[in-house]
Formats: sequence, C-alpha cells, structure tokens
Amino acid sequence: MDVLIEKLKVQIIEQLNLAEVKPEDINPDSPLFGDGLGLDSIDALELIVLLEKHYAIKIQNPADGKKIFESVRTMAEFIKSQGKS
Amino acid sequence: MAAKAYIIGTGCISPQNTTDENYFFETIIGPNGDHFPAIEPSYKEHINPNMLRRMGRAIKMGASAARMAMTEAKLDNVDAIMSGTGLGCFEDSEKFLLAILNNDEQFLTPTSFIQSTHNTVGSQVALIMKCHEYNYTYTHRGFSFESSVMDALLSLNEGKKNILIGGIEEHTPLFVELNRQAKKFNTDTTHPLFEGKTHGIQMGEGSAFFVVSSEKQNAQSSIDGISFLYKPKSSKEVLDKINQFLDSQNTALDNIDLVLFGFSGDSDFDNYLLELLPLVSNHSATAHYKHLCGDYHTAGAFATWLADKIIRKQEIPHTIRINHHTKTSIKSILIINAYLGINYSFTLLRQC
Repeated sequence: MDVLIEKLKVQIIEQLNLAEVKPEDINPDSPLFGDGLGLDSIDALELIVLLEKHYAIKIQNPADGKKIFESVRTMAEFIKSQGKS
Repeated sequence: MAAKAYIIGTGCISPQNTTDENYFFETIIGPNGDHFPAIEPSYKEHINPNMLRRMGRAIKMGASAARMAMTEAKLDNVDAIMSGTGLGCFEDSEKFLLAILNNDEQFLTPTSFIQSTHNTVGSQVALIMKCHEYNYTYTHRGFSFESSVMDALLSLNEGKKNILIGGIEEHTPLFVELNRQAKKFNTDTTHPLFEGKTHGIQMGEGSAFFVVSSEKQNAQSSIDGISFLYKPKSSKEVLDKINQFLDSQNTALDNIDLVLFGFSGDSDFDNYLLELLPLVSNHSATAHYKHLCGDYHTAGAFATWLADKIIRKQEIPHTIRINHHTKTSIKSILIINAYLGINYSFTLLRQC
C-alpha cells in the first residue's frame, strides 16, 4: 500500500502541475479538496482521467467520487479494491 | 469618435527588459537565432501560485501585464476588459491536440482544453479582479489588439470611465520549428529591418496591457484615434489613408513629431512602408520597433507601450532611431503597424 501511495503522490503532482508541492509534503490522510491540497472541481476531472489512464479504472457511479477522492489513501485503497495496483 | 483614451497604467512583458521600470532600450537584446522569446518575470509576484499552475504562458504573460497596468493605475477594477490575440493560448491548444493524437482520442484532460480558447486571458484577468463587466476578446489576426483599442475608444465615448485593454501572443517550440522548416524566418542580423534587404521575419511574442480612462488623471499620453487598412494595393493607398486619418484628427503628417514604423524585415511585405519612409523622414523623426519585440499579430500593443514610454520620457532611444531628426519635444506619435502586408493600422498618441 505504501508503495502505491508514494506512486500516486508523484502522479497527482504531475497530472495537476503542482510545481510547488513535493511528494513528502502530501499527507496521505489529508483531504485532497477544500483544506489539505486545496483542489477543485477541475482537478477532480483530472484525477478521474488519472485513474483511467494509469490504472484502467473507470468510475461507474459519479456519486462514489467523493469517497474515492477523499485522500491519497482512499484513492490507493480504491485502486487496490479494483485489483489494479 | 471624440473621446481620448488617457493611458493611466501600463504593463509590458516582451523580449526586452520592459518589466524593469528604469530600462529604456539603452542596449537591446537581439533575436535568439531567428525568433524573440519573451523575458518572463517571476509570475508569483503577480498571480496567486494556486492559479498559476494551470496557466499557459500566454495567460501568465497577459494576467501579469494586466496586473502591472492595474497597479500603476491604482485601480482594483475596471468598467470593461478588451483583449486582442491572433493565436490565443497556443501552448494549451497544442497540448490538447497532441494529447488527442498521442492517446488515440482517450484520456483527455480538461485543463488544456478549457484554457485553449482565445478568450482565456481576458477571462482569467476578470476572474482575478472579480470583474463582471463587459469582456471581449478580438481575434482579428493583425487587427486583434487594434480592434480592442477601437472598442475602448467607442466605449469611453459612450460613458465608460476606466477600461483595461491589451494584446497577447505566445509561440511554442513546435510552432517556431514548423515556421523554421517553412523558411519563414529572417536569420540575417547584419541589416537593419528597415533597409528592405532581408527576407522572412523574426517571430516575437509578448503582452502589453493598458488601463485607459476618459479622465486625464496622471496620464501623460492619450490614444486619440486609430484607423485600419486591409490589403492595400499600393503605398499611395496607405499614404492616402494616413492623410485621411490624420485629417480626421485635425492634424497632418508634417505635424507629427515621431513616426514609429512596424518594419518586419521581410522585404516582400515591407515594400509599401519602405516607399513611405523617405516621404515621412523629411519632417518627422522616424523609428522602428520590431527589432525589439519581433513580428506577431499583436506587436501593435508593444508599439503603443513604446510610444507611451517615449512621450513620458520625452526621449527617443538611439537604438530604435531610423533618422536623426532632433525634436525639442515629442507631442505626437503616429504608429504605422503592418502585419504580413495584410493588416495595416495607424494609431495616434498625443502628449497630454
């Protein structure tokens, strides 16, 4: 799980062009939206594409997004639950 | 069109050190081989870093130049924003199109698509300022910036007080390379652009923004009028249009202190300007500017910034002069901008 979390951090930084952020700055349990990284709705779309592109995962039910993208850890857990890590 | 557009704030990002207040072309930076890259400032000083991460260079250059102009004008908001750009946010357009090709039309991310449209710069400037007023982007090739000037003059005439206008253009490595392969560039730096001895252009980029007002305040110059000419068939047609324009401004070519020529360095397109030059040089000081900023759709915005600066300083830098007429004061400047022999525009600035 830890390896996947570190990999995800790098991918998020690259996808969202978070030039000022380093992987170690991201707490895997901090919220991605609002506080924490302070992402917004456009970033949510970018994260959906990230899952599709790197892990071949399509989110079937948009309502699940809120839980999946709560933090880096919840994203990693979701990827693992889909057997794609 | 009676209103004057008093220039109360400016900001300019260009291939020269134009973000340095004290710099006035004592020495100039030549092209990087065959094109001019803009000298970009530290954007974090002008734009929230969280917004910066999504912005392409055109947006960064535009939003920063707009911020500089607003700061100088000591304003938080304006009554309208009018931008001009020939190619728009080219970097993001390229990113999006390349992603379509490289990913077989899959996995398309929204950011570069959202930011690829021409009006992104004007809208980002409005978002930063929380300006909900009239916002228009002109994409009329070599008339793009000039159209925003025309719109501003009309809007000031109709009662708006403060307006932000600007021109923005960016190039990308791929775009430069494609133009290089198409042999569009002039690589000869031994002949000045106004001699008509070279072929091709030196492509440039940059952004210049102005806060113009219907009230003089601390302005030292005003844009008094602008006129357009599309695909003239002779230099006489260009001269006739200039005379007609200046007549409408209650002046004449003989009375203009400085004429700023937009020679591109491509003798195939500059021939009408080359024929005009000796006619003008008898009575006015003459200078040129595309050896400073390069050639691009909105180079007229750079020329307008330069003209305003010359009036403020009452000095014509030796690095831009064509002839050496001495003028005790510079009260009026005519900019003759031309893009690829297609779009000619004439802008009159006066000291105020």
